[in-house]
Amino acid sequence: MQTATSASTSSELIERYLIAVKFWLPRDQKDEIIAELSEDLHSQIEEQQSQLGRPLARPEIEEILKRCGAPMSVGQRYLPQRSLIGPALFPIYRLVVRGLLFYYLLPWLGFWAIAALLSTTFRAAHPGLSIFSTLETWWLALTYSLFLCTLAFAILERTQTLDPLLNNWNPRTLPPVRDPNRIPRANTIIELIVSIITLDIWLQLGIFRRAFHFDAPGRGGGPLHAVDFTLSPLWPYFFWALTALSLAGIALACLNLVNPHWTRLSSTLRLGIDVYSWGLAYLVSRSSLLQSLSISGLAPTRAADLVHSVNHRMNASSIWVAVIAAVVLAFDVRRILRLDRVE
Amino acid sequence: MSPIATHDDRFENLRQELRRGSLPLAVLAALRTEHYGYTLRKTLADHGMAIDESTLYPLLRRLETQGLLVSEWREEDKRNKRFYRLSPDGNAILKQLLTEWKNIHASVEDII
Repeated sequence: MQTATSASTSSELIERYLIAVKFWLPRDQKDEIIAELSEDLHSQIEEQQSQLGRPLARPEIEEILKRCGAPMSVGQRYLPQRSLIGPALFPIYRLVVRGLLFYYLLPWLGFWAIAALLSTTFRAAHPGLSIFSTLETWWLALTYSLFLCTLAFAILERTQTLDPLLNNWNPRTLPPVRDPNRIPRANTIIELIVSIITLDIWLQLGIFRRAFHFDAPGRGGGPLHAVDFTLSPLWPYFFWALTALSLAGIALACLNLVNPHWTRLSSTLRLGIDVYSWGLAYLVSRSSLLQSLSISGLAPTRAADLVHSVNHRMNASSIWVAVIAAVVLAFDVRRILRLDRVE
Repeated sequence: MSPIATHDDRFENLRQELRRGSLPLAVLAALRTEHYGYTLRKTLADHGMAIDESTLYPLLRRLETQGLLVSEWREEDKRNKRFYRLSPDGNAILKQLLTEWKNIHASVEDII
């Protein structure tokens, strides 16, 4: 059974509530607001007491206070609506944060994860849990970039610097409708010119040989050093494969020049050429391409170390070749799927 | 709480939104007669527009800051109370709002 509360206890409860609300109120209005709220609460209690013919019990008073609302939310309603970044700027803020995450921080994390999982050199350099210490820079970049971005937008919001730009817009300055399946002719022409020149130089230099000789300038303008190196017996195969790749690239560029839109044929050819080229790049990186090296004035053992070092680095880079290949091929497949959706 | 709002939740949200938009009009109309906070709440509740104290008092402050209401502290029944009434500006705005309200009502009725 509820026991009636003495007047002093009910006043004490209300007093505690009002002090809690007062804390959140704007400084210059605290007293007035509290006086008004206090009057309302006392009126409610008095009316209920007169209806019941007895003083209210403590739970009944608590119920009235609960219905009135939590002190912070009651106080907050007297404040003007504020936001760190308002609704006008928020879409731009979100776009920038998403850009930071998807084009900077997540790729960085992805590369780290690949290195941590696949690179034996990386794991050997950071054994055990110490591998996570290499994420320190990433974590700092995440914290600082998000903090600085939020701070910059909060300042823009406060100073309303972008308001004229956001409000004074012209429909004529809106970007044109972009056709994702259109291949810009300028890009195709550049691709074609670069491919033809590269192929010409490639064939004129006779890079299908395995043995090469050139004279490298010495340090500080010293005498020339004769450099001789020999490539792996696989090199001629790679050479012709690379030549065929250049020719295929030129053929696709010609096709795109005639029809500057991605079609099922051209996008499938693009995928095929990319599979071929990145597969070739992967094989080259893992083929111990440099067979021997001699530089005048350099000890043969040192030259052999250099050969080993070059081949080791190329071999280590094969992981990144595979990663880049995966990204490129994902874009190619997406292009084909997009065409399928349109059809 | 379920992330998907139930039918009742969705109805309640929309109902609150609808009522929130009508509150200033109801308050201005009720203050054609002088009231202090508690009696104003009772008057509104008696007409089916119940409003809690933490919504009403901030609204009264905003309307007063905009010059639509005037208020004064007076003692009644041995307690200090703040009495509100419509200002001349508030009266003019109320007339315009009532016309607008009737137009909206007619338009919605027409659509329905």
